[in-house]
Parts: sequence; C-alpha cells; structure tokens
Amino acid sequence: MIDVDGESKPCSISADPEKVIIDTDPGIDDSMAIFMAFQSPEIEVIGMTTIFGNVGTKDATRNALLLCEIAERPDVPVAEGSYEPLKRGEPRVADFVHGSDGLGNISLPPPKGSKTEKTAAEFLVEKASHYPGEVSILALGPLTNLALAIKSDSTFASNVKKIVILGGAFFALGNVNPAAEANVNIDFAIFMFHEDLAELRESKGRHAQLLSDMCKFYRDWHVKSDGLHGIFLHDPVSFVALVRPDLFSYKKGVVRVETQGICVGHTLMDQGLKKWNSSNPWSEYSPVSVAWTVDVDQVVTHVKKLLMKP
Amino acid sequence: MAQPKKKIIIDTDPGIDDAMAIFVALRSPELEVIGLTTIFGNVYTTLATRNALHLLEVAGRTDIPVAQGSHLTITKGTKLRIADFVHGTDGLGNQNFAPPRGKAIEQSAATFLVQQANLYPGEVTVVALGPLTNIALALELDPDFAKKIGQIVLLGGAFAVNGNVNPAAEANIFGDPDAADLVFISGADILAVGINITHQVVLTDTDREKLSKSKGKLAQYLCKILEVYFSYHHDAYNTAGVYLHDPTTLLAAVNPSLLTYAEGVVRVQTSGIMRGLTIFYNKKKSFGEVTEWSDKPNVKVAVTVDAPAVVELVMERLMNS
Repeated sequence: MIDVDGESKPCSISADPEKVIIDTDPGIDDSMAIFMAFQSPEIEVIGMTTIFGNVGTKDATRNALLLCEIAERPDVPVAEGSYEPLKRGEPRVADFVHGSDGLGNISLPPPKGSKTEKTAAEFLVEKASHYPGEVSILALGPLTNLALAIKSDSTFASNVKKIVILGGAFFALGNVNPAAEANVNIDFAIFMFHEDLAELRESKGRHAQLLSDMCKFYRDWHVKSDGLHGIFLHDPVSFVALVRPDLFSYKKGVVRVETQGICVGHTLMDQGLKKWNSSNPWSEYSPVSVAWTVDVDQVVTHVKKLLMKP
Repeated sequence: MAQPKKKIIIDTDPGIDDAMAIFVALRSPELEVIGLTTIFGNVYTTLATRNALHLLEVAGRTDIPVAQGSHLTITKGTKLRIADFVHGTDGLGNQNFAPPRGKAIEQSAATFLVQQANLYPGEVTVVALGPLTNIALALELDPDFAKKIGQIVLLGGAFAVNGNVNPAAEANIFGDPDAADLVFISGADILAVGINITHQVVLTDTDREKLSKSKGKLAQYLCKILEVYFSYHHDAYNTAGVYLHDPTTLLAAVNPSLLTYAEGVVRVQTSGIMRGLTIFYNKKKSFGEVTEWSDKPNVKVAVTVDAPAVVELVMERLMNS
C-alpha cells in the first residue's frame, strides 16, 4: 500500500469529515471497502470513479452505481473511467476471482441511476481544484484514471490531499505472476477467516447478508488458489489505511514500476540503504510512503466493526 | 579415508574479493582447482585474465590453466560499466604489480568449460563469481552442458532486497542479464548466492588486523590490496568492514551446510528500468494463468547463511597460507 504525500496521523474526529473519492473496480472486496466508507462518519464520499480490473470498466460503473443505491446513497456521483491501460491494449480482467459480474454472481438487479457526464479523470481534476488540499483519493484499482488526471492537469498532484493506493508487491511475490501484483499491487496477508465470515453473516450489519452472499464466490477462489479457507481483505485494508494510518508503519522511498519485459508491473522501492555512485531510474524522484507493517488484529477488528454496524 | 577432492573451475573477474576467493580455494583441502576462466565485471576481460595469472603466480600454482572468456555479453553488447571504484583501476587495489610471466591457454573459457564437463561428467563444480556470459556460451556450445556439469554455484542476484548497481539489479546479473536468464532456466543444478546473503558476511577492520599480523603469505598479500575495497565500503555503505561476496560463494561450494536454501524458479528481467532484476518464485502460490515462471526447472536460492562460520573459515584458511 502506498500513501502519496500522506501524513501518518489518525483523522481528527472533531474536524469536518474528510472528502474522499473512491477510484474502484468493484469487485467483492471493493464492495466491502465502499460500504465501510459509507458507514464511517469521519468520511464524506464525494464521488466514485471507475476503472477496469476486477471487471471491465462498464461493469465497474454499473456495480458502483448499484452499490451506492444499495447503501441508499444514490446522490453520490459516479464518473466512468478509462476502458484500457495508458499504453498496453486489452485490460486484464479478474472475473475468475470475483465472478463474471464482479459481485459474486448472485443475480443483483441493474442500477436505476446513471453515471455523470464527466470522465473519471475530468471529475478527479475538477474536485481536486475545487477543494484544493482537501480531497483524498482511495485508489483500489489500476492507476490509469489518476495518471490521466495528472497528465491533464499539472496542479492535480499538489491539489489532492493524499492518495492511498492499493498497489505493489514490495519484496514479495505478486498475485498475478511472481513479479506483479494486479493493480500494480501489495498483498498484506490480512485475512478474514471462515469463522469471521460466519460471524459477519449472523451479525446485524447493514449489508452483512449481501456481502456474505457475494463472498462465497470470492472465498471459493481463495481456497483454489492459495488453499486458504477465508478471504484476503485487500481493499478494506486500504480503506482502513485512509482512516487509521496509525495502524500501519511506513517506509519512505522512491517507487518505480517496470513497464516492459517479463517483470512488467513489478514495483520496486529504493530503500535508501546505499549511496549510488551514478544516477539510476530511481534518482531524483520524490519518495512516497509504503506501508511496511500493519497491526493485523486491530485492522481486522476495525473492518468487522464497520461491516457489522447496523 | 579422505574424501575425493571436488573438482572446481572458478569463473572470475578479479577483483579484490575474487582474489580472496581464489586463495581460499587454493588453501581448501576439499577442493581441486582444475582451472580458472575469466570474464569482464570488476575489470575488463583482458585485465581479468592478467590478474588471474598473477594471482596463481603469487600462490605458486602456475600449474593451473587460465582460459580467457568473452569480451562481450551474450547479445554482443560491450561492457559499459566496470567497478574500478570498488577494486582500483587494476582490479587489485592499485598496487602496480609486475605483469604475469604465464599466459592463458589457447582455448576460450566456454570451450574449456565444455571440455572439462565432458572429461569428468557430473563431477565438475563451476563457481561463477562474475557475469554469466561464459556459462551461457558453454550452454550454447554444448546442449548437454547443463546435464554434464556437476553444479554451478553462482554469485548473483538480489532476492527480495535492493540491488547493488541500482535499486533493482545486482552487479553480476546486471553485467549480462540475458546470459543470466539463460543459465537460470537451463536445467543445470544451480545454487545461487545473492547479495541478500553476502551482505550478511562482513570482514571487519579487526579481522583485517588479525590477517595482517598472521604469518600467512597470502593473507599478507591480501591485506595490501584490501585498502581500496575497505574505503569503498565505508563511503557507499557506511560500514566498518567489507562484504565477502566471492569467498562466501566459494565456501558454499566447499561446505553447502554453511547455507540454507529454497527451491524454485528464477527469471531475470532483461529490459526496461529494472534490467537485471532477479525474481524467485517458490511455487507455493498458484496463479490464474500461465506465467513466464511456469514449467521452468527449479534452482536453489540461498536464504540464510552462517555468517560467523564463513568469516572464521575464510580467516583460518588465509592465515595458514
């Protein structure tokens, strides 16, 4: 997980709620993170932008609209993002993880509302310049929309408050192949076990029933892929990093992503342990904070608390 | 009853820590050094050959043949980066040694490697201390080389740590990434010792003091050339000691129990900003699709090292030299 320009302090409860745009490709664990955001009074979701990843972009938009409606927040604007990566053709879609509809194939109805006129990048740029220094972005999918926003507005990077990215596998195996994580992406091995899921199902959580149904497909995939009886909480953990940065420790360093060859998508951070005697592709870029350790118990507790909240 | 000696060929780019490794090898009763092959890396290949011959003369072992290796990478690239800032412009700590009297043999390094593997099938261990060009050329020369060579113990890669040339790449792999990838997927019995291991094995100032006070002839020689190497480590890493990359790798061939290792597939990134990056896949996780790591042969990658034991063994062998 990467925190660009972030201060590692918990959000103050007395302050105004923090404005957040969720850039997302829902996705079962995206759905959990989105519901958690709507259940968090310290957060004001001012919009969602969509991207391919767990599903194609069009399906991501449909799912984002649907999730807002299920959460009784149809007022939240949904801006559709790019259909393909900046440079490399057809996007990779993980329907074998999340089901062909992205939400665990449980036959949900289509949404009633529709997306905004603006593209995701336009929406991001507009909100960031409208509330300079106030908008945080929680990026749960590939970073194409953010890259387009940065390209189209040179002040975008300084206008946003911070960007919390689920991305990168740092000095660990990827989850797409040994070199690469799916978004570009990190895996904290944070896990909800079978028992946690049962507890969720039996709780009075506002969306507990729906999430439990959706999770079945996701859980079956984890059993097949990793031999694990439970699910990884990628996106919910990223959300927790936004509201409770104090539950993580961070390392700062320049991060670059390989864009070609067999290791395309590999994220690599210069840990700053050596003084290089010549310039290299990491020289002279700004460092970012990469989440390095995490208080697993507290994070899982926070996730469960929000998901079981009536 | 004495164990039969292990036949080894050291593929080397001397280099100060190469010099140490070569001397340790020559003072290891478990080993029979049947040849040195040379490669660019710390210095250009021509100088590597000259230094290899010189080191054998210092050790009184001019009976050991030196075969000169490739001047170019496997893709016919010229070596752009040599490490004179680590080892001195002569590769041996700027000591102005007289040129060696001996000469390299007629055969190229690759031909020599193939010939020895054929002569002693399954018995020869190659200890590769530089870029892997010669080994890759041997694989191209003889498709059975991977089967006939006993083991390849190589110094290369940065597994789950930053590199030493840049954040992505370790110097030997960076020297010829295409050759390294070829070697890693060749099917040969390979033990890779990366800088994640060798950065744990440090020869301190105190150790150097002990070496210089010993009667060992080779220890005395090494103390002279070590000055440049110590001062580089002090500047680049802010350490009061030097990493024993090559001696550690050599000792891995002498006594594998100094290390533990994991098995899996290693691939090398050959292009882009992370050219020279090594990625090890331990096959513990299955992926939804076929990857560049699927269906490739396993190699061994060192994961822990008994660093104090390695330093002690290096010291002991050099002090009794």
